[in-house]
Amino acid sequence: MGNVLSILFCLSLFYVSITSRVKGYVTVLQIQGVLLSLIIVIPFIYPFSIYGIILPATLLLVKVFLIPRYINKIILDLDIRRVIDPTIQQFSFLLLVIATMVVIFVVSNILSQSTELNVIPFASGFSAIVIGIYIIMFRRKLIVHVAGFLILENGIFLFGTAVASELPMMIELGTLLDVFVVVFLMGIAINKISTTLDGFDVTALGRLKD
Amino acid sequence: MFEFFIFILLPLITSLFCSVVKNLRIQYSVSLSVSVLHLILALSVFLGYYHTNLPFFFSVDSLSKFFLLILSNVYFWVVLVSFSYLKRPVTHAAEKSKGFYFLLLNFYLAANSAAMLSNHFGMYWVAAEATTLSVAPLIYFYRNEEALEAMWKYLFLVSIGIAFAFIGILFLTLSAKGSILEGKQLFFWEFIRNAKQLNPIWLKASFIFIFVGLSTKIGIAPMHSGDVDATSNAPSPIAALMSGSLRLTALMGVLRIFEIIRPTSSYEFAKTILIIGGLLSLFVAFVFMFKVTNYKRMLAYSSVEHLGLITLGIGIGGLAFVGAMYHAIYNSIMKVILFLTAGNIHSKYKSREVSKVTSVLNRMPKTGWLFLLAFLGISGIPPFGIFFSEIKIFEGMLFSNKPALLVLTMFFLLFIFINMGKIIFFMLYKKNDNDNSEIGNEHFDFIHLTVILLLILLTTISVLSPDVIYQNIINITKDFGMNL
Repeated sequence: MGNVLSILFCLSLFYVSITSRVKGYVTVLQIQGVLLSLIIVIPFIYPFSIYGIILPATLLLVKVFLIPRYINKIILDLDIRRVIDPTIQQFSFLLLVIATMVVIFVVSNILSQSTELNVIPFASGFSAIVIGIYIIMFRRKLIVHVAGFLILENGIFLFGTAVASELPMMIELGTLLDVFVVVFLMGIAINKISTTLDGFDVTALGRLKD
Repeated sequence: MFEFFIFILLPLITSLFCSVVKNLRIQYSVSLSVSVLHLILALSVFLGYYHTNLPFFFSVDSLSKFFLLILSNVYFWVVLVSFSYLKRPVTHAAEKSKGFYFLLLNFYLAANSAAMLSNHFGMYWVAAEATTLSVAPLIYFYRNEEALEAMWKYLFLVSIGIAFAFIGILFLTLSAKGSILEGKQLFFWEFIRNAKQLNPIWLKASFIFIFVGLSTKIGIAPMHSGDVDATSNAPSPIAALMSGSLRLTALMGVLRIFEIIRPTSSYEFAKTILIIGGLLSLFVAFVFMFKVTNYKRMLAYSSVEHLGLITLGIGIGGLAFVGAMYHAIYNSIMKVILFLTAGNIHSKYKSREVSKVTSVLNRMPKTGWLFLLAFLGISGIPPFGIFFSEIKIFEGMLFSNKPALLVLTMFFLLFIFINMGKIIFFMLYKKNDNDNSEIGNEHFDFIHLTVILLLILLTTISVLSPDVIYQNIINITKDFGMNL
C-alpha cells in the first residue's frame, strides 16, 4: 500500500512539473499532504492506536489545511498573477524531471542490493527533494519557491518513512512545527517584499552584493 | 531538572512574558536577569561546581558545556547592551520592531541552549531550526529594503540547508542498517560508541549532507552568502550574537557527526572535507576583502574567515584542533567587540559604506580607538587571544602531515589583514574638510564601557589561559580520540 501511495506521490511531481498555475502547486501540496498522512497512518489502523494517530492527524492539519490555506491567502491578498514565470520551457523542465527520476530510481535500485531499503518510497522521496530544488532554481516567483521548499520537505518526510527512521513523537511534531513557522515567516516576508520592494519574484532581490 | 528550567524553560517563559508586558525597560530587566542566571549556571557547570541531570534528549559533555558557556557569555553581553542600543532613535517603522526584540532574543536563548545540550540528532535539528526562526525576524529589525532581502535570503537558504542536514541525519539512520544500532534512537553517544559498525558509504553521505547543510548556518564557503547578508544587515547586537554564538551552534552539529566518523575508515575523508571547507572559506574571505565596500560586510567576511580557520583546525586535528577550540572562544568575544563598535560608528554616520565613513578617530575618538584595538585583536596581534589560538593552529598544521597548507593559510591571512587594515585605517584616519568641527565630541557611553570590559576579559583569559579551559579542551580532544 505504501508503494502505491508513493507512486501517486511521484505522479503529483509530474503534475507539478507541467502545471503553469500557482494554484496547481497549492493543490499538489495538499495532495502530497494527504498521501503522506495516509502512508504514516496505515501501520496504526490495525491494530488501532490512538497514540499513532496523533502524528498523521497533525501532519494532515498542517500540510493539507493550514499551509495551503495560508499560501492561498497570500496569493489572493497580494493578487499575485496566477502563472508561475518559469525561466525554462515547461517541456524542457518535464524532460529534466523525468531524466532525474529515472536516474534516481535506477541508482536506488542498485543501492538497495547492498542496503536494505524500500526502493519506491526512497526514490520517490529523493525525487521530490531534487525536484523541489529544481522548482526553486527554475521559477521566478517567490511564492513558488516556498512551494518548492515544501515539496522538498515532503520529499524528506517520505524519504524518512522509507529508511524507517523512527524519531520520537515529540521531535516529529517539533519538525512539523518548525516547517510551519518557516512558511509563516516566509509568507510575512513575501508580503513585505511585495509592498516594500514592489515585486513578487527574485528579480526584486538584488540589492545585496559585493 | 533545575538546570533544564534555567537553560531552556526560563528563557521560554521570559519570551512569553515579553509578549505580554510591553514596557521595554521591564523586558530588559527580566531578560538581563535571565541571562545572568544562565551565565552563572553555565559557568558553574563548566567549572564542575554543578553536576547536571538533564531529562529527555539532553545531557552535558565536555563539548556541550564549552559551547554552552560561549553562548551564555555572548548572550549576556548582547543583552547587557541591548537597552542602550534600543534607546537610539530609529525610523518609525523600526520602532515597531523593538516590541519583539526581547521576546525573540529569549526564544533564541532557549532554542540555542536546547541545541547545545541535545544528545539526539532529531532534537538538535529541531532546536537548530528554531534558532533560525528566532533570529530571522531580528535581522529585519530596521525594516528597510536591505534588511528585508537579507532576512528572506537567510531564512530561505538556511531552511534549505537545515533540510539537507536532515537528509544527512536520515542517511545516518541508513548507515546503521544491519548493525546493533538499527531501529535505535539517534543518540550521539550510542552512535559514537558503535561507530565502527556503521556502513561507511552511508556514513560518508551523511557527513557530506550534514556538513554542507549546516555550512549555510556556519557561514562556510561556498554556502556563506545568506549568512554574510544577514550578519551585515542585522542590528549590531544581533550580528554579534550570530557571529559569536549562532555559527558555533551549527558547527556543533558538524562536530557531532565528525565525532561519530572518527573511529571509522571514513575519518580521513571527513578530515579532507573539513580542510577543503576551511580553506575555501579563507579563500572567499581573501577575495572579497579586496572588493568589499561596506564595513559591516567586511566584518561578516571576517566571520567567514575565522569560522573557516576553526573548521580547518578541526580538520587538521591534534594541536590545531586545540587551537580551533580556543579560537572559538576568542573569536566569539572579539566579534561582539567588533560589531558593537561598528554599531556605534553606524549610528553616528548613518551609513555602512566605507567611503562615507571618514575620520572616525577625530569625530568619535573613543569608538575609534576601541575599533582599532578590536581590529588588532581580530588580526591576531598579541596580547589578544586570537594570536595564541592562531599560533596553536599554525603549529598543529606545521607538525601535521600537510605542512604545505600552512603556507597557503598564512598567505590568505596576510592579505586579509592588509585589506582589512586598509579599510579600517581609511575609516579611522582619512580626513574630510568638515571634520575639525567635531573633534573629540563623543560621550563615554555604556557600549564603550562594555567593549572595554570585554577587551579586559579577553586579554585576561588569553594571557592567564586558565587551566580549567585547557583541561576542558583536552577532554574534548580525548572525546574525539586525538592524541596530542
